[in-house]
Amino acid sequence: MNKTFSYQQSIFFDEYIDSKSSPRKGYNRSIDFFHSLSPSERAYYTNLCESSISSMGVTFQLDANELQDRSWPLDLIPRIIASSKWQLIQKGLVQRVKALNYFINDVYNDQVFLEKNPVLKELILESSNFLPECMGIKPKNKVWSNICGTDLIRDDKGKFFVLEDNLRVPSGVAYMLENRNIMKRVIPNLFNSYAVNPIDDYPSQLYKCLSDASFSTNKNKKIVVLTPGVFNSAYFEHSYLAQQMGVELVEASDLYVSKNKNVLMKTINGPKKVDVIYRRIDDVFIDPKVWRKDSKLGIPGIYNAWKNKKIAIVNAPGSGVADDKAVYAFVPKMIKFYLREEPIISQVKTYVCAFKKDLNYVVNNIEKLVLKPVNESGGYGILIGPQSSKSELKKYKSKILDNPRNFVAQPLIKLSTSPTLINRKILPRHLDLRPFILSGKNSFVTKGGLTRVAMKRGSTIVNSSQGGGSKDTWITN
Amino acid sequence: MLSSNAEKIYWLSRYVERAENTARLVNVNFDLLLDIPHDSVSDFIHLVEITGDLEQFNSILLDEKMFYSSSVSAMKNVVLNFIIFNSDNLGSISYSLEMAKYNSRHLRTMLPKTAWEQFNKLHTEFSLSDKENYNSEVMHQIIRNSKTFFATISDAMHRDHVFDFIKLGRFIERADMLSRIIEDQILRKEAKIPKYYENLQWMSVLKSVNGFESFKKINKGELKQSNVLDFMVKLKEFPRSIIFCINRLIAVTKYLPNSENLKLKLIKIKKQAVKLNEKSTDKQILVILDLLQLGLIDLHLEIEKKFFNRSPI
Repeated sequence: MNKTFSYQQSIFFDEYIDSKSSPRKGYNRSIDFFHSLSPSERAYYTNLCESSISSMGVTFQLDANELQDRSWPLDLIPRIIASSKWQLIQKGLVQRVKALNYFINDVYNDQVFLEKNPVLKELILESSNFLPECMGIKPKNKVWSNICGTDLIRDDKGKFFVLEDNLRVPSGVAYMLENRNIMKRVIPNLFNSYAVNPIDDYPSQLYKCLSDASFSTNKNKKIVVLTPGVFNSAYFEHSYLAQQMGVELVEASDLYVSKNKNVLMKTINGPKKVDVIYRRIDDVFIDPKVWRKDSKLGIPGIYNAWKNKKIAIVNAPGSGVADDKAVYAFVPKMIKFYLREEPIISQVKTYVCAFKKDLNYVVNNIEKLVLKPVNESGGYGILIGPQSSKSELKKYKSKILDNPRNFVAQPLIKLSTSPTLINRKILPRHLDLRPFILSGKNSFVTKGGLTRVAMKRGSTIVNSSQGGGSKDTWITN
Repeated sequence: MLSSNAEKIYWLSRYVERAENTARLVNVNFDLLLDIPHDSVSDFIHLVEITGDLEQFNSILLDEKMFYSSSVSAMKNVVLNFIIFNSDNLGSISYSLEMAKYNSRHLRTMLPKTAWEQFNKLHTEFSLSDKENYNSEVMHQIIRNSKTFFATISDAMHRDHVFDFIKLGRFIERADMLSRIIEDQILRKEAKIPKYYENLQWMSVLKSVNGFESFKKINKGELKQSNVLDFMVKLKEFPRSIIFCINRLIAVTKYLPNSENLKLKLIKIKKQAVKLNEKSTDKQILVILDLLQLGLIDLHLEIEKKFFNRSPI
């Protein structure tokens, strides 16, 4: 039976419907369920979802000045991915993160890859993400980014691409876990009709991964989650993860470094030694004696404790060096170099303007490209060629020519869409996907991840801080 | 348990208990005022004296003279607003609940989910209440929600140190408030209120600690100051007597590390309390209450030193 869908396939790839606007295989039940709901039923489910979120206390904060926490925005229509497809992506993510960890370790030790790529070497050594104090350090298992969040997108053909790797302090996993709990509460019958792979072992996998990072020989490692405090926008996640793992959530003032470089925690029973810190603050804030002198969030002397293997810091300070947009362009090369494998997941073609050839292409095709400054994050300083005026393009072109090293360029990807409930109507909205990859002795990838969706028509901005929403991601057999 | 968390849970508990006690006090007194024809100023102002700072109260008045000569209902509104809603007043319900809220933000992982939700309910319902048209239901709501909060904790909470610090905070706060209510009542006698009304006032004191019915069960006859004091200070079976609070605190010390000193101090306080008897003069009572309060302050400082202020060695 070919149900009429509430919207037609457009130039974008839609997760639910094909080019003839019929439901894709595996999506029938979900489509039927949401289409069969009357407007009042849709309102009922939306309200139930919202009240579950507020009673479960799933919140986030926009900024420190906002006193009231906001309820987490979850869209009820799930994103569904076949497990056969996911298995390959999973392999690709493990491969990618492995290569990136080899790369970071190489950067801070022998620099073999950099020697072979002088342009990259220059970019790296000048980057503010490169921390010279980390030279010569080898974390346990040579893993620097134990917890990575990689953003995936699909293009107009439905092919998966890596958009970026978040190797520093990726967030969102608590919302992934809570989305699932809410969906089970609100639409248990639809959930039951699919064989959805469970995701709730993430906290125990994370615990294992953190234990693996310690050099201590204690059987039970003392692990803490370090948060900047209650006014941080991700505080909910920090406390959630600490609770789910059964470890202490601490702030910097709870910790100090003793004379013999042990990291101690102040408790009602006196000082207790800590083995692993899962830091949820930026690396340069972690030790005011070494990096940001003005940091109130850090623990003075912890750098030395870390260097002497007395404490594991996860992710390791300095791992942001591979977060750089210019580094991204080299990941396929890294995979070949370190692993002698072909990359399993594609990534977006990236022109590094530090290369003459790339620079030429970029200045001649600027109107087709998305331009990004290398050292900025959070979408800052980006120019979208096809949506810019001639004078804007001209201005940007001269900026690039002034300092080519500072820029990379990518073709504009037509992000896929998925049906989303907007004011009780089902409409297409753009989305991405952030799976989480844990690396310790072994690797682990979440089944699915956090799907983020732009709630405004045509928008591709999925950040919750800018009005983005989220979806539960179902990997189904 | 982290020292910083011990401190926060202790204060969360104290502030919730304080808000509840203040709400009780407000309710009972305004109930009472309906019955007594009298010098209304002292009756209003004594509430400010128990819960907070009279000097601060006078400083918020635009015109002191005008206030003290205004109508009873106008005065009532100013006093109530100060005690309930003025968060600059460190003794107000509003301030207590804001501070409780501040501490609670850190404690989400340490409280049972149901208790956490109950606390949020307490805070939200109070902040949504109508500040212009006060009615006693707001106070009842606080009392109900606070009781449910503590009940949820004793019902659902794992008996660990978090639980111990909740008890420490709650019973120190309660003992302190009890001693202040009694002290204030004795001082008010100097305002030369007729004997009949004095008994009415003791009755209201009993009501404010939810003890009127229990009191009646044991004291069938006349309501006398000495009986009430015996009940409120020394009756170890009544959950809102000073001795009951102290016994609870002594029981908690069993579970806390390095708490020998704490226990000794509590036993000292207890010895003070039992000195009170039916022959005690008002003057002697005031001295005993004073020593009790100093003992509680000393107790708090000991807790701070032992558990909260662990600094690097």
